[in-house]
Amino acid sequence: MVMAFFRKGDSGLESIESRIVAMLGDARHSFDLATLAVVSGADPDSVGDDIRSTDQRINTAEQELRSELVVHISVQGTSDIGTVLGYTLLIKKIERIGDQAKNILDLAEEGVSFADAPDAGEFLEHRQVVSALFGETIELLSHVDTDRFEDYHSRVYGLRSVYESKVREYMHSSEPASFAVPRAIFYRYLKRIVANLGGVLTSATEPLPHQDYYDDGRTDIDDD
Amino acid sequence: MAVVSSAPTTKSTLPWPVRAAFVILLIYLFLVGVSSLEAGIRVMGADTQERLFSGVDNPLAGLFVGVLGTVLVQSSSASTSVIVGLVGSGALSVSDAVPMVMGANIGTTVTNTLVALAHVRQSAEFRRAFGAATVHDFFNVLAVAILLPLELFTGVLTDIAQWISELLVGSSGSDWKSPVKEWVKEPVSWIRDFWEALGASGNTLGTLMVVSGLGIVLLSLTFITTNMRRLVADRVERSMNAVLGKGGGLVAMSLGLVITVAVQSSSITTSILVPLAGAGVITLRNVYPVTLGANVGTTITALLAALAASSPDALTVALVHTTFNIAGILVIYTIPFMRDLPVRGAETLAEIAVKRRLWALAYVLGMFVVMPLVGVAILR
Repeated sequence: MVMAFFRKGDSGLESIESRIVAMLGDARHSFDLATLAVVSGADPDSVGDDIRSTDQRINTAEQELRSELVVHISVQGTSDIGTVLGYTLLIKKIERIGDQAKNILDLAEEGVSFADAPDAGEFLEHRQVVSALFGETIELLSHVDTDRFEDYHSRVYGLRSVYESKVREYMHSSEPASFAVPRAIFYRYLKRIVANLGGVLTSATEPLPHQDYYDDGRTDIDDD
Repeated sequence: MAVVSSAPTTKSTLPWPVRAAFVILLIYLFLVGVSSLEAGIRVMGADTQERLFSGVDNPLAGLFVGVLGTVLVQSSSASTSVIVGLVGSGALSVSDAVPMVMGANIGTTVTNTLVALAHVRQSAEFRRAFGAATVHDFFNVLAVAILLPLELFTGVLTDIAQWISELLVGSSGSDWKSPVKEWVKEPVSWIRDFWEALGASGNTLGTLMVVSGLGIVLLSLTFITTNMRRLVADRVERSMNAVLGKGGGLVAMSLGLVITVAVQSSSITTSILVPLAGAGVITLRNVYPVTLGANVGTTITALLAALAASSPDALTVALVHTTFNIAGILVIYTIPFMRDLPVRGAETLAEIAVKRRLWALAYVLGMFVVMPLVGVAILR
């Protein structure tokens, strides 16, 4: 282990950044599996262990990364303090996404399945959109393309609005609770996941005081 | 993640080969400084040398001088290099220098203890940070408490060091033709010529050469440390992450040794650990072996200084520094009961310091300033 000193390798932040991307990949994996159970009717038992072990991996990575960020500041000094604080927020968001994927699995384990529902196609479509958003977030974190940030954030904002409308629609729905409640909860989770994904990118790109806020601080993405 | 890595940074972007070349130049300057110091002492008459160093005949006085000198320059690497230079000049005997070297080991712990005081506002954090810092103090004091009397009665550390020294460069009392000494001869003569040109001679010339040497040693060591830290920061970070909390005591000790040799400062290594302990990233028991490795690693500077000295005794005293720190580990760390003593001491002191913050300050002042000052005043 001491030989790590003599080997060539990534700088501290580069190594942390690679692990963050891997964490986000894990969160996407959890999301894909959990929504597969709810939307496509996959057996929750068959994906449950995988989701839980992936979530455990995300949680462990979060704790290790926190330590590594402290080590970074301690060794390299405070010049990266803004980045380090941003990363602390960022990894918490990814950890939350993992938790929300687990919450979606809980829905499936409670017997919720939209596979045979009349609106199944709509759920499948949203699943694909959000999963693709994971991929896009990873891509934007890995490769700088500032031209795409604005478009990305406006789509995230739009999706949050769509899911918020869905939640409101089902809250006031005249359908039976067994129909409306799972849908309201599911859309609520999608909304939180999308908000956290947007937050991941703002944590890595925006000035620290504006992180977790859209529109120059007017809209708090964590208040709903 | 390219997005964030592209963020502006305040770090210097000096290419590493340039920085490495700069460090080599600084090491050369450091050796010039040690040699100038030694030459300056030699210029002074025997009477002056006798007057200057007669006070440290008493081992306890020597110990306290070592503590004070190191606290003053905040670097045992610097103070032990000066001691090596003094021994090389013949002004200081090996037996008088040994307690000073041990004192330097105690004095160097002040830096990370001061770093721990920065955490004073947050109780839990302060408890962890202060404990992590003072475990180094407790270990070094305990090592001196055991090994100084042993050395005074048996001379065992000096014997071992002398044996190694004879194997390497020849017997004590002979004039060692160090190749490094030859390399630095010319710049030292420039320093002498410079002061002579300004009219200095005798003791004044000697004093000015000693002061120049001291200045060069301190400045070059400061810049060596700063540049080496930048050169190896990524490696330090990577190895810290790989080892901390995962490896055993020996691995942690090796890490402390490697980092300290690389940055030429045990204070840097131990001071990096204090905020980590404060944040709870590593425990006091994880910190402990790293500091022991740092104790051994920091002796490399005095060994380097000995290369520029004229007498094998200089190498002997540098080797005493190394054998003392290794013996400390063998006597204290390898025996389970003894191993726990510094940890318990540090935990108890941290507990007291958290309850009464002023006691923490009183400890630092008492241990590193008042006690050695009073000791020197009484025993000289």
